[in-house]
Amino acid sequence: MKKLIALAGAACAMVGLALAAPSATAHHSFAMFDRSHTTTVRGTVREFQWSNPHAYIQLMAKDAQGRDVEWSLEMGAPMYLYARGWRPRTLRPGMEVSVDLYPLRSGEPGGVVVTVSDASGKEIGTNE
Amino acid sequence: MRPIATTVAVLACAMLAGPAVAEHHEEQHARTEAFAGLPYWPGYWVSEHQAGTTITGLAPIFTEPNPDLSNFANVMSLRADTANWNEEGQRRVDHVRAISGGRKANGWGFPMMMNSATPLRFLITPEETIIINAYNEARYIYTDGRDMPDELDMWPTTYGTSVGHWEGDTLVIETAMVQTPSDYFHGAPPFSEEARYEERIRMDGDRLVAEFKVTDPVTLNEPFTSSISWVRDEGFDRMIVIDWDNDRTGNDGQFNTIEPNAVD
Repeated sequence: MKKLIALAGAACAMVGLALAAPSATAHHSFAMFDRSHTTTVRGTVREFQWSNPHAYIQLMAKDAQGRDVEWSLEMGAPMYLYARGWRPRTLRPGMEVSVDLYPLRSGEPGGVVVTVSDASGKEIGTNE
Repeated sequence: MRPIATTVAVLACAMLAGPAVAEHHEEQHARTEAFAGLPYWPGYWVSEHQAGTTITGLAPIFTEPNPDLSNFANVMSLRADTANWNEEGQRRVDHVRAISGGRKANGWGFPMMMNSATPLRFLITPEETIIINAYNEARYIYTDGRDMPDELDMWPTTYGTSVGHWEGDTLVIETAMVQTPSDYFHGAPPFSEEARYEERIRMDGDRLVAEFKVTDPVTLNEPFTSSISWVRDEGFDRMIVIDWDNDRTGNDGQFNTIEPNAVD
């Protein structure tokens, strides 16, 4: 049992380290995003920033009161988006999309992108 | 000019140029031979276990239901979390972590560029090896037999000064005068500018593997060592260099956040 607890502790420590460390292509910790659940935001692409160290989708969406809210949706670095089939013109201003995301813990209208789908529900590019 | 005079002139030129041409051919032949004896590491290399990074920016080992936890040890391991820091080193580590919230950066710098998912290329020639990543961060490792420059001819830089040599198929690199890495990138270790870095890089099957050793009398009780490795990831067909010019990392006092985008 002690061994099991020690292993579990080591696992938690490693996961904790992984969360605290800048991860993969990201240059900052992913602890800023709440990865316990995803949120879906539907709206219109205002701008697709194909930039380092992250790409961003600036998405205009309506809040519960029907007001316009601009979401800043972070993605990986462009070279990884390219490697996964994305291109700078994969998203164009005016496109209607639905984005599944892990929201910012800060509560600001933002998050990190998990999946992007078009208005018909078809996935755009790939998340694989 | 008469035909005889022309012939004499051509012969004279040939006699004068002959030794130089022959010498040039010998040089080319020797260089071709030198190239043939060198390893060839083509491809776009990313740190092993960071390969397959998704559009989210996370490597699969962070999202797999049952990850092999031992693999985490090879992710960003050059942060030197396991180093045996002395009092000054620990003070620096604590300080860097304390001010990391919302810090922006311009790239990975050295040594972190050697341990990230950003693709690397290794361009090997007899005289030097150039290691360059997709942020245009480059290291020049001179392998022409020169010594490390005199201390007075060096000053701290983001990527340091490197000389190297080949031991069989292993590239051995010595690097000095690296600006404190955490000054450039907040996730990097706070080694001092007196630190010396030794790398031993070689192919192992389809992987590149390296042994890192850092000696720093200012921050370490004992040398920090780490084994890292790279694999060729899929999806890259050329080096696409894009500036690191849109770091929107912010901080609300408690959590990092994304700086809002100004509406045009």
